[in-house]
Amino acid sequence: MSLGSSESFTADSMGLDAIDSGTSILLVGDDSDALKSVFYRLVAAEEDERSVVVATDESGRGVQRALNRAVRGAGSRSSVLTGTGASGTDIDTIDDLGDLTKLGMNLSMHLSETQQQTPRFRTGIYLCSTICAEADDVRSVYRLLNSNFLSELRRGDGIGVCALDTSSDIGASVSSVVAGMKTSFKACIEVEKTGRREATLTTSGLSGVDETVTVSL
Amino acid sequence: MSRTILCVDTADRIDEVSAAIDAEETFEAVEATSVEDARTILDERAVVCVVTGYELDGGSGLEIAQAIRQTAPQTPCVLFTDVSPGEIDTASFEEVLLEYINRDLPDAYDRLTFVVDDVINHSAQVSFLKPDDEQERLDALAQYDIDDLPIEESFDRLTDLIASHFDTAIAFIGLVEADEENILSCHGGDWDRLTREETICTHSMLQEDVMVVEDLNEDKRFSENPHLANLGIRSYAGANMTTNDGHVIGQVCLIDHEVRTYDAEERHELQQFAETAMEILELRQGARGMRTMEAVQ
Repeated sequence: MSLGSSESFTADSMGLDAIDSGTSILLVGDDSDALKSVFYRLVAAEEDERSVVVATDESGRGVQRALNRAVRGAGSRSSVLTGTGASGTDIDTIDDLGDLTKLGMNLSMHLSETQQQTPRFRTGIYLCSTICAEADDVRSVYRLLNSNFLSELRRGDGIGVCALDTSSDIGASVSSVVAGMKTSFKACIEVEKTGRREATLTTSGLSGVDETVTVSL
Repeated sequence: MSRTILCVDTADRIDEVSAAIDAEETFEAVEATSVEDARTILDERAVVCVVTGYELDGGSGLEIAQAIRQTAPQTPCVLFTDVSPGEIDTASFEEVLLEYINRDLPDAYDRLTFVVDDVINHSAQVSFLKPDDEQERLDALAQYDIDDLPIEESFDRLTDLIASHFDTAIAFIGLVEADEENILSCHGGDWDRLTREETICTHSMLQEDVMVVEDLNEDKRFSENPHLANLGIRSYAGANMTTNDGHVIGQVCLIDHEVRTYDAEERHELQQFAETAMEILELRQGARGMRTMEAVQ
């Protein structure tokens, strides 16, 4: 247990400066493929780290493969909670994504077990917009983020990425929800697909410098 | 100052839990060994956090968490159990949300006290998002001597004028404190304080521009909130009251009992009313500061 550390997390595959431990990142965009590519590059664990990923629309094996594509061997350094596909080694399936209580407890358990193995972790939710759509009350999603996601970043040595597809119907004003989440998360990355295999990332709150970078997908 | 923690577990396990809590200097453990006992304690006294096992006499720990969410929703709850999440029956508790600690972890009891301290200090289980600069914002709000400033009449005239201008059922000015919204003036309603868990303003204040909810029934941040339904609130518009340092401390709001839209000009006008309310607050505070200085001299 700790209350964070000063060691940062690399993100150089996207031309971004290292990210401070404890940073919560809101990742938003209207192209789910571009979001997914950036998401996995942010949460894929380096050799001295582990990942804990909540995946709403991807099987556990699919998540592990995506992590491996981002960083060699990252899939084997991950724990996955998924809303689809089968359970397996380091993969737990959640039958009902609207069951936020179970999702939150599982996330807390995986994060604490991960930190028993190595203190440094990257965690992420892909897609938070799907969870909002499944929940009866969006306030419960906020309680999930506060209770089981942002708290872990405050206490431990890790970073967290929460991806939200702005083209989704979440049952509330997406622009208003994003505006609120932006003020609550330490950093935001807006992903805009600009070509078949290219996207522009507009960052705020990372390293104190707002910038725009172009990445290949 | 000691903080009261309700510890709930079976008779053969409660001592270990409460001893761990009591070992922390600022904690005071109160014990319950059944769901019924726990409910009684929650009815009778204020607690700042609940630590509960899963399998209890007369029910489960999730029933206690649900009771808290209904009566004191901001109170954090920690499920401390050796039952894995996969084996926990959440069927009737899908949006209760609580912190889970595996009692089988080697450092489980150290983790328990660490987490309890953290969730209390950071109000970590609330159902609203707080701005990243929340503490600085609250510090900015604390600079105003709200209770001592002669602002009531000015604000009452202003909310009368706002309601008349927009032809809305309710117009109010509220300051968003740590746990509650303090309604300084309200035309059309008899509101004094509302918990942040229940207010729309706690969402609106996170948005830089005027937030409009044309129909609360169509927005899942508000449609499941029985408190808003009981007040008959159907539409909302809110503009930020922002200090010179850029901290949002309050809101000027319009409420109606029917679906409403607000065009760009109306939103701009509402923002101007919010800036006027902020100027009144600043002027009154400044005048009070001058008088205090004169008295000292």
